[in-house]
Amino acid sequence: MEAIADASFLIDWARFSLRDLLFRLFRVVWIPEDVLSEIQSESTLMWVAEHLASGDMSLFPTLPEYRDRALRLVELSRRGPTRGLDFPEAYCIAVAEDRGYVVLSENGAAYAAQFLYTTAKVWRAYEVLWELRSKGVVPDDVIFTYQEETKHKFPQGDLQKWRSYRS
Amino acid sequence: MEKLQELINREREARELRRREADWNYINSLPPRIRVAIKLFIETGNLRLSQKISGLGLEEFVEHLRRANVWVT
Repeated sequence: MEAIADASFLIDWARFSLRDLLFRLFRVVWIPEDVLSEIQSESTLMWVAEHLASGDMSLFPTLPEYRDRALRLVELSRRGPTRGLDFPEAYCIAVAEDRGYVVLSENGAAYAAQFLYTTAKVWRAYEVLWELRSKGVVPDDVIFTYQEETKHKFPQGDLQKWRSYRS
Repeated sequence: MEKLQELINREREARELRRREADWNYINSLPPRIRVAIKLFIETGNLRLSQKISGLGLEEFVEHLRRANVWVT
């Protein structure tokens, strides 16, 4: 399985002590050029650079066919009742729906898109942690560790769902 | 249709939580441009637009959101 990551996912995930477990799920995590340019902090850049060097991550170029599809996705999203997509997430979705990647994004608009107008799968850190837990790679309470370390907060409904599936 | 309603409810819940849990003292202590951008994010959840209005880089803006106890969803 391969993924393509948006900055909203990377910025939080890079602060997590178990961040390298991402590569237990994905053979390659693609980083669009535009997303790379949004990453500026030394710690996030160090982590991304290390994995670009090792081949766990790879740069995804800006290609006209996906730019066009991404713009159409942005337009489509703005016509609906849910939050509109931003271009970087839309680009990830355009690539993912064509190449079968999973989109990694914390953006609510990208999350909603998978139920409304794209065949691409969109995972937040929540789904990544869920998958890692189902493989027995992380303990049940990992989601709370993630929240503490990254200061990312998950919706109450998702936390209740997480607790109800405790192994 | 049920899924659409669920997504709309999820957006509404997220906005209410952003409003309720935000550290308004911190937000009101910020320079106008960043303050306006954070308020916009609280109301709309639109990260890139808010970041652009703030005049900051994405990571720097997200760091202000963290300090303001405003969560990105």
